[in-house]
Amino acid sequence: MKLKDELIKGKGYSIFSIENMKELEILRDSFVKKINITNNGNADIYNVRKKLAKMPKSEINKSMINLLSFNNLSEMIINSCPSLVKSLCGKELFIQRRAHTIINVPGKGQQKQWTHYELMSGISPFTFVIWTPLHDLDDSGGVYYIDQKESLRMMRIEQNEGLVNGPRILNLMQNQKPAKLKFGQGIVFNPFILHGNVNFKSSLARIACNVRFQSIKKPLLQKNTDYLKYYKIP
Amino acid sequence: MSTASVTTDINIGPFKIPSNGQNMIMNNYAQRNNLIIEFVIPEPMMSNALATVQWLHKENKFNKVILCSIHQLPKEKKRINDLIKTMKNVEFHFALEGISGKGKNFILSAISEAKMFSKSKVLESDKTNWLNLYKMINPKNKL
Repeated sequence: MKLKDELIKGKGYSIFSIENMKELEILRDSFVKKINITNNGNADIYNVRKKLAKMPKSEINKSMINLLSFNNLSEMIINSCPSLVKSLCGKELFIQRRAHTIINVPGKGQQKQWTHYELMSGISPFTFVIWTPLHDLDDSGGVYYIDQKESLRMMRIEQNEGLVNGPRILNLMQNQKPAKLKFGQGIVFNPFILHGNVNFKSSLARIACNVRFQSIKKPLLQKNTDYLKYYKIP
Repeated sequence: MSTASVTTDINIGPFKIPSNGQNMIMNNYAQRNNLIIEFVIPEPMMSNALATVQWLHKENKFNKVILCSIHQLPKEKKRINDLIKTMKNVEFHFALEGISGKGKNFILSAISEAKMFSKSKVLESDKTNWLNLYKMINPKNKL
């Protein structure tokens, strides 16, 4: 099945290999440099993860401010897999103005994110999301995806009940099996796929980034220039 | 040499922001970027010429101007040229987009991006529901 069909008519998400590893390595190293929390001598992703795991949440939030200067993260993620993005949306895109960096640290109550659809933020239904870790995922915790059939079944039930992200969705956090990705792999998914994050066992922090993109030929929903910018794949 | 914030009509491209809301957005942007606003300039409703700020600039020599969005920039060629001619040395800040810059190329690029977005169809979220939004990407799916 073609990727686009898999994402729209199939299970709604797909694991893929990064096409341009050099770009992803530059992205990872830029992240290490910009977050600027390790001594110069040992500035690599392992040491950043180690340091973050021991920092209090308030200190992590402060260090995230250093990442505000990372204003080409979206383009870097897109440029690490240009053929995939072009096959889904063409060359001319609306992409997230600032891609997200997600840092999860070990410890009770730190790593959970409730199950949700990306659409809830007001992005267009024609948007796709790429999520990729900045290192190997070394345990069986972390982010999970619920296939499209089940996601739509839940959506239909909730719509009939007049709810969005009600208790049924929140309870889906139990018994999920996250994908165990390597650095150089990513997940692409449509905005109707339920996903979330469960506890993980690693002693190191987990770092990932994600970007949302759509064709400029497709309609927008609630997000506009406040969230998106024009980008043409070179 | 000073910084001015500019409020405009409540309708700003796809957004609807009352002027006190515009001020809150710009004040927060200024605080986060260590800018001190000395002038608060209200442009008249139903105008996107930015004529008041240009007129005041001649006397007060602003070095920075803050607006809420790139959608507040003029759309007509003559008004765009007037703005560039008068304010090419002024640093423009757009709070919602979080971008800033100065000069003809920056202003034209911001106007061009706003135009590109304004050409896009916008789905009305108050006239649809989640399942109908899904049907847009996969009309054959029998939900």
